[in-house]
Amino acid sequence: MSQIAFITGTRKGIGRHIAEHLLAQGWLVAGCSRKESDLEHPNYRHYTVDISDEEAVSATVRSIKKDLGPIDVLINNAGTASMNHLLLTPGSTANALLQTNFLGAFHCLRECAKQMSLRKSGRIVNFTTVASALNLEGEAIYAASKAALESLTRTAAKELAPYGITVNAIGPTPVDTDLIRAVPEASIQKLIDHQAIKRMGTRDDITNCLDFFLRKESDFITGQIIYLGGVTA
Amino acid sequence: MQATRKAILNMVTLTLQELGEDLDIPELLAANESTRLFGARSPLDSMNLVNLIAEIEDRLSDDFDLSITLASERAMSRVHSPFRSVGSCVDYIMELIETAEPTPEDE
Repeated sequence: MSQIAFITGTRKGIGRHIAEHLLAQGWLVAGCSRKESDLEHPNYRHYTVDISDEEAVSATVRSIKKDLGPIDVLINNAGTASMNHLLLTPGSTANALLQTNFLGAFHCLRECAKQMSLRKSGRIVNFTTVASALNLEGEAIYAASKAALESLTRTAAKELAPYGITVNAIGPTPVDTDLIRAVPEASIQKLIDHQAIKRMGTRDDITNCLDFFLRKESDFITGQIIYLGGVTA
Repeated sequence: MQATRKAILNMVTLTLQELGEDLDIPELLAANESTRLFGARSPLDSMNLVNLIAEIEDRLSDDFDLSITLASERAMSRVHSPFRSVGSCVDYIMELIETAEPTPEDE
């Protein structure tokens, strides 16, 4: 029987790539975003939801179970970025980043973990960033929101281990997506200079790491944050 | 299935009985309205209680088509926990059902 993955933020970018990657492997994929998706595949179902809305997330996770079956894997990919000097960052921007990057991920994690706990099995993979490990200037709130998610990853790994659920995180380097399109080239290069392997990341670098966390044999791997490109915390 | 108090009580006691079989807790096999769910006199530890709440939410969705989150701010801020016994838990579920906003599909 096909495994079922719930991926947040599948309309474009890395989330879309992950959805297509898992669909190609025969997974049933539930994806979500705030807007409709044009991804069409017999094994894909899209849900329009704002993950910062707690009740909407609960309803969506229950709908996925009814429509496709119980969720085996949650990939908390949805995120939003804002690069600005912290003295010029409005509170509303900080709030919006925390709502999506931390609270939204928490809502999805909690609701999926409830389903997984009943079956004593599940994998949760969160998405962080090397900006958090590197304490990058100009990304204070984005990095802080992802640092909160990293802390949640480590603690959730402990609280959910008795239920057979692993919780890990991937910290990608810059990858060519809409998220970084507005960032000046010099800033991207400065970030790449911090990496041991000095190149842009690719979407396949991310799915390679994801596949490792999802492997059946990786059930002893939890609470880990893997930064790509040789960035160390 | 219609979410009457009797139907919800049956669902909660059945869930507890099944949990008792799975976890080998004989006290739960005869679960009834006065069975304690929380505190020193409860046969459930904190992990079992988390399991029970997740299972009840799941069955409310599957059996009654109700999307209800039991572990809400409302429940946690009460002086007397709604999870102290089967009866108080069922009363709390009925309260949530009565005050729930209709979903768009219901309108």
